[in-house]
Amino acid sequence: MTLQSARKEKPVGITPFDREWPVSDGHMGKNTSPFPRVNRFINRVLEGEFTVDHQRASLVTEAYQKYEREPQVIKCALALANVLDNVEISITEDELIAGEMAAPMKAAPIFPEHSFSWVMDEMKNHPWHKRLHDRYYISKHSAKKLREIESFWKGKSIDEVVISEMNEDELKGTNIGRGFYLLNLYMYGGIGHLQANYEKLFARGFYGLREEVLEKLESLDKHEDPAGAKENFYRAELITIEAAIRYFQRYAALAVKIAEKEKTPLRKQELNIIADNCRWVSTNPPRTFFEALQLLYLATTIILIETNGHSVSIGRFDQFMEPFYRRDIESGEATKEDIQELIELYFIKHLWWTKLRDRLTVIANSGRGMGGDSITLGGVDREGNDATTDLTFMCLDAIAHTRSGVPWVAVRWHEQTPWELKVKTANVIRIGTGQPKVFNDQAAIPASLRAGRTLEDSRNYHVVGCVEIDSGGKEYGWHDAAYFNIAKILELAINDGRCIGCGEHCDRWENCGEMGKRLGPQTGKLAEFSSFDRVLEAYDRQMEYWVDLMIRGIEIMDRVHQRLKPLPYLSTLIDDCTEKGIDVSAGGARYNFTGPQAVGVGTTADGMAAIKQLIFEEKKVTAEGLLNALENNWVGDEPLYALVNSDKIHHYGNDDDYADELAKFATDTYCRHVENRPNCRGGKYLPGVYSVSANTALGLTQWASADGRVALEPVSDCLGPVHTWAGSHDTKGPSAIAKSVTKLDHIRAANGTLLNWKFSPSCVTGETGRDNLIALIDVYFDRRGMHSQFNIVSRETLENAIKNPEEYRYLLVRVAGYSAFFVELSKPLQYDIMGRTELSFD
Amino acid sequence: MTDLNKQGYVTNIQRYTIHDGPGIRTEVFLKGCPLNCKWCSNPECIRPAPEVGVYPDRCIGLDKCGFCLSACPAGEISALKTENNRVMAINRGSCTACLSCAKACPANALITWGKLYTVQEVVDAVLEDVPFYNKSGGGVTLSGGDPLIQWEFSLAILKECKEHGIHTCLETEHHISPGILNIVYPSVDLVITDIKHMDPQKHRVYTGVDNKLILHNIAETAKKEMPLVIRIPVIPGHNDSRENIEATARFIVGSLKNRVLQVQLLPYRQLGIEKYRSLGIPYGMEDFQPPEREIWEKNILSLAELLKTYGIPAVAGSSSRPSG
Repeated sequence: MTLQSARKEKPVGITPFDREWPVSDGHMGKNTSPFPRVNRFINRVLEGEFTVDHQRASLVTEAYQKYEREPQVIKCALALANVLDNVEISITEDELIAGEMAAPMKAAPIFPEHSFSWVMDEMKNHPWHKRLHDRYYISKHSAKKLREIESFWKGKSIDEVVISEMNEDELKGTNIGRGFYLLNLYMYGGIGHLQANYEKLFARGFYGLREEVLEKLESLDKHEDPAGAKENFYRAELITIEAAIRYFQRYAALAVKIAEKEKTPLRKQELNIIADNCRWVSTNPPRTFFEALQLLYLATTIILIETNGHSVSIGRFDQFMEPFYRRDIESGEATKEDIQELIELYFIKHLWWTKLRDRLTVIANSGRGMGGDSITLGGVDREGNDATTDLTFMCLDAIAHTRSGVPWVAVRWHEQTPWELKVKTANVIRIGTGQPKVFNDQAAIPASLRAGRTLEDSRNYHVVGCVEIDSGGKEYGWHDAAYFNIAKILELAINDGRCIGCGEHCDRWENCGEMGKRLGPQTGKLAEFSSFDRVLEAYDRQMEYWVDLMIRGIEIMDRVHQRLKPLPYLSTLIDDCTEKGIDVSAGGARYNFTGPQAVGVGTTADGMAAIKQLIFEEKKVTAEGLLNALENNWVGDEPLYALVNSDKIHHYGNDDDYADELAKFATDTYCRHVENRPNCRGGKYLPGVYSVSANTALGLTQWASADGRVALEPVSDCLGPVHTWAGSHDTKGPSAIAKSVTKLDHIRAANGTLLNWKFSPSCVTGETGRDNLIALIDVYFDRRGMHSQFNIVSRETLENAIKNPEEYRYLLVRVAGYSAFFVELSKPLQYDIMGRTELSFD
Repeated sequence: MTDLNKQGYVTNIQRYTIHDGPGIRTEVFLKGCPLNCKWCSNPECIRPAPEVGVYPDRCIGLDKCGFCLSACPAGEISALKTENNRVMAINRGSCTACLSCAKACPANALITWGKLYTVQEVVDAVLEDVPFYNKSGGGVTLSGGDPLIQWEFSLAILKECKEHGIHTCLETEHHISPGILNIVYPSVDLVITDIKHMDPQKHRVYTGVDNKLILHNIAETAKKEMPLVIRIPVIPGHNDSRENIEATARFIVGSLKNRVLQVQLLPYRQLGIEKYRSLGIPYGMEDFQPPEREIWEKNILSLAELLKTYGIPAVAGSSSRPSG
């Protein structure tokens, strides 16, 4: 089936596969593209400030008021239509692909259906323009308009309904309570984390989608739809499809209008092409690469306008765009350079999207981009053959040329990945923007099969958002359902269910500690445990209790989303929704998963190792001694603090089975309690093991821990070893890390895993540096590690960037799953990234 | 049969080194060196016996800890020098190198340089990274110090590694009896050696020994057609004159018949200061002001060019692959 399998010549981009760029030069805005228009475009996008825009919120509210009595799904459809028909639109200079997210470039629309009280609170009490990072500005007019709708949304937004429906037990561990598992993403925002079926959209166009819905509506058996739920759903789908068509046509009309006034003949011609493209793809399947790109961008943008989800991903761009590319090149419609320029302009258009996040979220998830708009390249095709295309290389060149951190690019490697693609990947990684991340088909495909997807769909996986494996176009995976701090579970397990550091400073003191209560169930005292195995048993029992509560909370959220926020437009683009007549939010997709992640693997493993070694084996410390030290945040116990942070204790990340087996136990216990639990959309739970940057937020709610963490310090990131303020716990270098980390079962963590590497530039310099980097990834992947991402930056550079932020304004670093401008990150996150062990081998 | 229980002193087994030989390697640093180079960056490998290094900055305070003082068998007249509530240094005269203080220290303020390993233990550690060697064309590198100070121990390691099919690289100063080289070389796949100076007098001043034996051994190594990489540590104001580099070039072309895989010119970096202090050894380059990076980089590049005019495969730095 694939074009590649029939082809003889090797895929190649516009630069030689081994073209090298300077190492550790991850700065944006340095005119690194060979296309002047792309450089101008980048500089223009960098110039403006980020703003908050009221239009979407006002138009949605207007529709909710006007159509109050309509069924919810129809109301949501009409609200989307009201936005698409009435929001102001524009086309700027140098643009070739039109479209905005119901707000101007770099302006954040507001989604009051999901949450609004924090928006009003922050607007009044914590102005966005006074933030230390992630700053936004708002006009007086927009602020006034937002205030006007405040009263309407009281008690109606999803967050308020969710919280009102959760009981005390269900709340106590969450971000609303003690804060050791975070449900905030889906409590306050949309779900996202999906990919539309672009192949279907490209094959049928919006008219084709409409036909499909009309057929279903006409053949609907009223006896099987007594309450009219399906009929309403289909009518809602039609409303949104037609609104989408009109939105495209508004851009076509606008382009014509601007073209009429345009004096430069070349630009006039371009504007007419934009108009033709928008008009044609408003209803029809695209014919050229250019048309397909226009349809891809704006159709995706409408998903963002409807859903408020981040990590709305693009998927396998080098696969589904390939037929258009090939046709254009063969027919002479476009040259390779034309296509390259379009890809780069398209990449930059991802910078137009922005999302306003609340002030607590931005501590952990800094960065103002939409987030998670991922593209997946390479890998095998549905039949298991290498799927590399010219576009694979061209997209990697586009990263090197644009250096913008968007879209988030993942490259899939497999056993037959061409050497040329590995070299290209390594050379782009070495630039140091943190892009691309590398995924391992040898782990991801078995993990996907284990989750229950078909072999074809598993081979065709793409990466959603930061880390998650997804079968694009037919899945609603709730991939970012929660971040769950397993280090807190160990704390409760050694302290009989009570928090270490329990006291008046805690928000919950009055209902909990002061009343003589404890947070979790009583699972025994460390001092009374006869052996270390009792510690592990207590850990297991605490885990079971808290995973149950977490899942109850997630299920409540899921049901509220289904009830209040059906997504009829998205449903037209995800397989089986229209077929089944069920909204994507309610289980209409072919695959329905829920993915909560474990955080703090290293912290838990090293804590367990310290307890096992010092208390049960060497008997150097008593249980009371350790617990006292933790309660006192190590003050007065400095030697113990130094010791647990020293290499005299077994530590995860050093290829030391003693600690690595504890890490495996810690994560397996989490996975065992999460996996295969049913969710309310007819699917099941899939555990993930990664933190993205939630490890900083989760650290802020936890007192000192036995691994040598002081109170409030971040817990360990993703699968990485511990690095506390006293130092890094891994001392044996990258091969030892790779081996330790691959002792964990990545295939079991089917929602995804992640290991962040940080290399000093000197160790990846030159051809040998490049080849050693490739060899490292190869070995990690042979051992079934799933996913790696890289920072190529020296500590010195990061220290300088903290001191002189103006000189490093556009320095990109890898956070986890995504890249962001370092100087715009929150301080805890900056220090967390700086503290990751720098692997330097001089 | 290789004696796997044979013991030797190792200061460090470093995994994933990438500059001393091809590919990803495990580097075994052995203790003891016949030379005493002024610029040595591994002073912990110079003396043959184990010793304790002191890092006062890491000391958490004698009032809070003091485990080292209690552990020192010298008792009242402790071998540990203290100041401002910290352990500062070791009175090497009264220290018996029993290492008790380093074992007791929880904070790595006192550390042991040189631990006794069996051949089996070293080889086991080397075997951990076989998949990385296989992917990258790497292997094991014995370094130091000079591994041939403990040549029987080193030979046993090399032999056992060869048994496991691991590529072996030996970094040696070549200040050793030629007969030992003859015994060791059959177990070595690549030799890395330094030429620090061509002038015997200056060589003695900077390294403590004459260069005659060294140059003889290097010439013999080339004659045996051993794969050979030569390194010149370029120390500004010491050996970086064009005369010295040209003399080196004549030696390589003449005595070695240019039978070298690569000649690497390595920049001097002031790396070892902390270690010198920790060992209580005066650092010969303490007051040396290294020139600006642009200047030495340019200088090294021009010296490499100079060597190339002799047809020598010279490179600046150690991260390019030999073309041979």
